Amino acid sequence: MLTSLSSGAPTNVRWDEVVDSAFVQSSVVPAVQSRRDEHGSACDLRVHAQLFGALASITTERMLSLVVPKPATVATVVAALGARLGDAFLARVVDETGAKHRYCRLFVGGVPIEDLRTPINADSIEIEMILLVAIEGG
Amino acid sequence: MNMMNVMNTTAQPIDDVWIPSSCSLCYGTCSILAHRVDGVVVKIEGNPESAVGKGRLCGKGVSGIMTHYDPNRLTRPLRRTNPKKGLNEDPKWKEISWGEALDEICAVLKKVRAEDPRKLVVQRTTTVTASRIPFQTFAAAFGTPNFSVSGGGQHCGNGAHLISGIMHASWSVVPDFEHCNYAIYFGASKGHSAGHASCSNMGKAAEARARGMKMIVVDPFCNFAAAKASEWVPLRVGTDAALALAMCNVMVNELGIYDGPYLQAKTNAPYLVGPDKLYVRHPETKQPLVWDAQSSTARPYTDVKAADMALEGEFTVNGTPCRPSFHCLRDHLRKFTPEWAAEISTIPATTVRRLAKEFGTEARVGSTIVVDGVTLPYRPVAAIAFRGSQGHMNSVYNFYAVDLLNHLVGAADVVGSCLGFNPACHGHPETGKLRYIPSAGPDGLMVTGMWMGYHYPYPPSEPRLPTNLGLQDLFVLGMTSPFLDSTDREEMWERFDLPYRPEVMVNFGANLVMSIANKEAVAASLAKYKFMVSFDLFLTETSNFADIVLPDCSYLQSLDSRSNFPFIFSLPAGVGEWCWPIRQPVLPPDGEQRNCADVLLEIADRVGFRADLNAAYNASLKLQAPHRLEGETRYSYAQICDAELKNNFGSERGLEWFKEQGLIKWKKKPAEVYWRPFVDVRVPVYWEFMLPIGNKIAAIAEPRGLKIPMEYYQPLPDFLPCTSHCCQKPDFDFYAFYYRDIVHTNSFTMENPWLDEAARLDPFSYTIAINRAQARKRALHDGQLVWIENEAGRKVKGRLKLTEAIHPEGIGIGAMCGHWSDGMPVAKGKGVFFNELLELDWAHVSPVNNNLDLCAKVRIVPAEVTP
Repeated sequence: MLTSLSSGAPTNVRWDEVVDSAFVQSSVVPAVQSRRDEHGSACDLRVHAQLFGALASITTERMLSLVVPKPATVATVVAALGARLGDAFLARVVDETGAKHRYCRLFVGGVPIEDLRTPINADSIEIEMILLVAIEGG
Repeated sequence: MNMMNVMNTTAQPIDDVWIPSSCSLCYGTCSILAHRVDGVVVKIEGNPESAVGKGRLCGKGVSGIMTHYDPNRLTRPLRRTNPKKGLNEDPKWKEISWGEALDEICAVLKKVRAEDPRKLVVQRTTTVTASRIPFQTFAAAFGTPNFSVSGGGQHCGNGAHLISGIMHASWSVVPDFEHCNYAIYFGASKGHSAGHASCSNMGKAAEARARGMKMIVVDPFCNFAAAKASEWVPLRVGTDAALALAMCNVMVNELGIYDGPYLQAKTNAPYLVGPDKLYVRHPETKQPLVWDAQSSTARPYTDVKAADMALEGEFTVNGTPCRPSFHCLRDHLRKFTPEWAAEISTIPATTVRRLAKEFGTEARVGSTIVVDGVTLPYRPVAAIAFRGSQGHMNSVYNFYAVDLLNHLVGAADVVGSCLGFNPACHGHPETGKLRYIPSAGPDGLMVTGMWMGYHYPYPPSEPRLPTNLGLQDLFVLGMTSPFLDSTDREEMWERFDLPYRPEVMVNFGANLVMSIANKEAVAASLAKYKFMVSFDLFLTETSNFADIVLPDCSYLQSLDSRSNFPFIFSLPAGVGEWCWPIRQPVLPPDGEQRNCADVLLEIADRVGFRADLNAAYNASLKLQAPHRLEGETRYSYAQICDAELKNNFGSERGLEWFKEQGLIKWKKKPAEVYWRPFVDVRVPVYWEFMLPIGNKIAAIAEPRGLKIPMEYYQPLPDFLPCTSHCCQKPDFDFYAFYYRDIVHTNSFTMENPWLDEAARLDPFSYTIAINRAQARKRALHDGQLVWIENEAGRKVKGRLKLTEAIHPEGIGIGAMCGHWSDGMPVAKGKGVFFNELLELDWAHVSPVNNNLDLCAKVRIVPAEVTP
């Protein structure tokens, strides 16, 4: 890389004035989109959920379907799953504040979802969930 | 040049190729070229095409041939016939078939998974970075949260990684070798030893020193880094925070050196703090408030221009008296005078003041530099720390105090400064994959864009009653945990009503009997497992506790689509290239050796959780359509590697493309390397979150009889002594510590004959270093056989090596020597087993991050009559 030093600069660079907004990830939460389900009610979201690993081990249902009223977000779906599967399930997915544990990996239509506020603009979705606890040293 | 099929026409061998792959003699995982002639690897060199190693290869890397061809390698599965397990028990191995082995393993795993999958502990060595994904996914799919990396983390990183993550969004930190003019190392050897980006950093550090970078090494021992430094500053073991805090005090309060604009814009220094040590928040939005000097009002930090945020002053907001965090920090630092630090650390006050002045002056606060046409802040100083300084009771504050030096002068991820390893990546230019950038989390503080697991350093999880054996649910600032093996583990589990106990362990290459602490403690823990299976190259001290041992492939026989973790672990920081190398087999398995990743897939099929494992791979590798693994399809590990490579780099660049090319690389941009000014995130110079976390942990632990020492959970760093510093026993005059020998990695390379020879030629590798003057005062002589005994009466024997290059109170011992397994005959009996001196219980770990305290107060007792 080519470098040149501005020695003895009279004033400090303004750290807050060189932020390149193009470099920063968008904070806008994109909506989940999918094809319209011709058989579904226009008022309901049909959810097909698959649970893996530890989440599957604490429930009797590792694949389940449910219906959630619209408008829905991923949080709505998680809450509906919690209502059906119980507190033991919910405690492994979200913390006391309702935020998703980072180690709970959640995919809607194969797309990873970090923000539970993500709106769902679809008639049906497939959701997959797994706990991916990992630690590392070295 | 195509690396493959370069024929030597004069000798006309049938097979003469240079194959690009990845080393695995340490977790640096440098890129290599293996020269195979007629089916035999005859030489290993660094791959000059790769940014990981940059064509350099250390002595360990070139010696890998000897590890691979070691006649003591396992070639068939073994089953113990002696049901008794213990340090002195002979397992009485018998060879069995893979079919028999897997039948038994799968029957056990099926039963445990049906009962409670948490009864399984998955353990692996950190030496083989690429083993992370296969074992992490296996554990996740099986359904157990009990995953451990043996001594890794507990020794070398619960502090370093936590704070590097919170403050630099990365796994570790280094000086920006290309531009740094003044680096101060606290118990670190980056660029002078093994580990993260080791060979790349060695080259960069050497060039920096040749360019004139002044390098100060603060360490009780003048060895690998200090010997090449401009100045060695010996200190009392475990007192790094005292020096760092006194330097901060001198800079801020005596010299008035700090980077105000950086502190305003990029840290929480302006956030107002009340008498309860917590932020003063907006009553409705709960956002931290700052004092707006323009309007003379308190407003949310998001609503005020950084330049208008007050860093100092006494204010009253809604009736609450408050001060900016920086004001609290500045006041807090006043008590750390150089004279106070001299008492603690033995470093003269004049030296403390000089170092502070040099660091502050060399920082050139206010200067800028143009890099590739981009004007950037220029702060050519770096204070870095690693295992040595953070391996103590005071793990968190030791590292936090060192890193404050950087943040006070704005020397964080800008040109010349302290850099995290590649925390921001725009992604591959064609696919956009692998893009990650730090982002603003709660209170505007930085959340890493990439991390080694999903246990992120910030924001910390909410402490809760633990459901995992390591108690990380409760001690949320820890990563790896001592409580799987500690002498008080059962007491801890009972205290927290853990509803299950570990019954089965799957181990990959970890030699935890040697790598954690005293062997009796770990052996007692291992002996309690009802069943243990271990993938190993040799019969180690730990595999002797297994019921079944499986013969693993060496790195020269293995395939991995990600030999390095992208990109915060092994890729060098600073200018250069992004680089993704693979590992590929250079040689076939010998006998019945099998690659562990494929074995794990077969186990999943037999036990019946392949769909879970496919889902875990999808999640861990971030596979997206059309490369996601589907349903219960029985993919081979090669197919999974192919999917990952195509997912990241395009369908035309699958496994076959990578086998031919060895790696893919592209140029880093200035805004990636020096990302800090470009990303709107702040880092905490005042750790306000500590107090609430400590209180929440105490609220759970103290009613159950575990006292939480709240002095460790304060928002600002302090010097808190180790157990060893409080020892009052007569004759216990020395602080024993270990160091990582440059010729060895963990416990495993001692079996390599070339490295053993190098270690035997080194006067220190297998001996006990002691200060010459102190030895003579006690009539101890060079080569004398002595016992080193800790306060609890544990002792190790070895020969003294007298030297001026160690602190007068220090006893330095090379790490993890002293093997006793017959399965590693080259290593057996060499050197001194330092870890025997380490206690393994709550009283000897950091109460914050559970890092082990790695020093011990000891006495020396002659083991033979002085001639």
